[in-house]
Amino acid sequence: MMLAAIIRATGMTEWLDDFLVRSVIAGLIMVAIAAPMGCLMVWQRLAFLSDTLGHAAVMGVGLGLLLEVTPVFGVLAVALVIVFSLNRVNSFNSALSETTLAIISHTGLAGGIILVGLLPAQTVNLEAILFGDLLATTSADLTRLLITTVVLLLLLLHHWRSFVAVSVSREIAQAEGIEVRKVQLLMYIMIALLVAVMMKVMGVLLIAAMLVIPTTSARLFSRSPEQMVAVSALYGLGALAGGISSSFHFDWQTGPAIVVSATLLLLVTLAITRIFRSHLE
Amino acid sequence: MQAELLLRASNLSYAAAKRVILDRISFELRRAQITTIIGPNGAGKSTLTNIVTGLINNFDGEIERAPGLRIGYLPQKVYVNTLMPLSVLRLLRLTHNASDREIEHALAQTGVTYLLQRQVRSLSEGELKRVLLARTTLGQPDLIVLDEPTAGVDVSGEIRMYELIGELRTELQCAVLLVSHDLHLVMSKTDQVLCLNQHLCCSGLPESVSQHPEYLALFGQQAADSIAIYAHHHDHEHDVGGDHTGHRHD
Repeated sequence: MMLAAIIRATGMTEWLDDFLVRSVIAGLIMVAIAAPMGCLMVWQRLAFLSDTLGHAAVMGVGLGLLLEVTPVFGVLAVALVIVFSLNRVNSFNSALSETTLAIISHTGLAGGIILVGLLPAQTVNLEAILFGDLLATTSADLTRLLITTVVLLLLLLHHWRSFVAVSVSREIAQAEGIEVRKVQLLMYIMIALLVAVMMKVMGVLLIAAMLVIPTTSARLFSRSPEQMVAVSALYGLGALAGGISSSFHFDWQTGPAIVVSATLLLLVTLAITRIFRSHLE
Repeated sequence: MQAELLLRASNLSYAAAKRVILDRISFELRRAQITTIIGPNGAGKSTLTNIVTGLINNFDGEIERAPGLRIGYLPQKVYVNTLMPLSVLRLLRLTHNASDREIEHALAQTGVTYLLQRQVRSLSEGELKRVLLARTTLGQPDLIVLDEPTAGVDVSGEIRMYELIGELRTELQCAVLLVSHDLHLVMSKTDQVLCLNQHLCCSGLPESVSQHPEYLALFGQQAADSIAIYAHHHDHEHDVGGDHTGHRHD
């Protein structure tokens, strides 16, 4: 717990006691990891997978609570079981079948809600699971989020070239000596980790939105993969700022407010690029 | 002395959904030699190249690759990821650090230097093929695998492309594995033909393959005759000193 020691030593303890500071930090960390992961998932058409894992995560929460472990570990276990099974059945060339994903997604959600319903009412806040509860971020949540994000960012940096090459063409990447199947499995595991930690902030139903919407805005005028990641992060920041402030001022739920802000930014960007293009013509 | 052995395939068999696609195929690829795979639709041509490039690895039989074998690959159907912003320059540098000069040279060979700064998603199918063909030559490949490189290219472009493949072989001293449906056009440049129809019907020099009964059964006398004509041109060129200017064809 070096982190805790550092925080104490620098006198950040009091500061971190403020729930708003904690939630802003958690939001910033999420944006930092959602941008590159979101881009990769959009490029590889895996956005739907995060949705599936998110929905099935409810099952993980239920299992975690039943077995009396921290729910996030239940979520991670369920997500890992799903990605390993998908990796086994998924052939090299075909994209993940939407039907398979939809079945897993909704069965996970339905089963999870039944499980959660069996528990005593006060143990679970179903709303927080489904839509997130950024403002209730604890120091433990923050530490987990930070560690996972650092691990994911290091993996991304180390394998970035392979990830991009596989996104462009699996066939060419394989022929040039990149082990596409291993890269794919690593990517799946990283998505499972991402979903497990983002769940706290965004809620299981809204994770995919945070991975897809800022990325789509960024794609409208990016010229390179890295530029798209950087611009996605900016849009993520904008959505976070809009979400937290409207949540604070109007008492909106934070997760949904972030998603609505992200979509508003996308619409504004679309309008501006339209006007800009018609002026050029 | 034979050229350096780059890849040896022994008794390759492959079945998908209980249907035999390849049946005990053996061949060798050697440096600076062009090997052409011909065969009807569904003969297993693309499956064979996918085994060579490592895309398929659940086959029976054995593949020995020279240590550190570098492969450049042009797939038959190129799926363009329109979701990723990517310039042609970046596409060419995706997995190797080619210098500006190497990239310019590679694009010049396929006649698409002007595409350097364009976004990949804005290219036509033909343009993308040429860019990807240029890409296969970067990073000092030992073997270039081209799966129907001329599909979707007009006839004059086709002849030019086969000439180019011959030039690349000479310049890069790499082996070329080419899938083609028209043997008569690749004839003069090919060192080895593999005539495939699930099993290896026949293999060897183009002239001998074109007279083989199984080849004739698959492609008919007309194809064999047209090859004979090209073979004649081929001999003729050698008579005048192997001057491959490409003008003498017509």
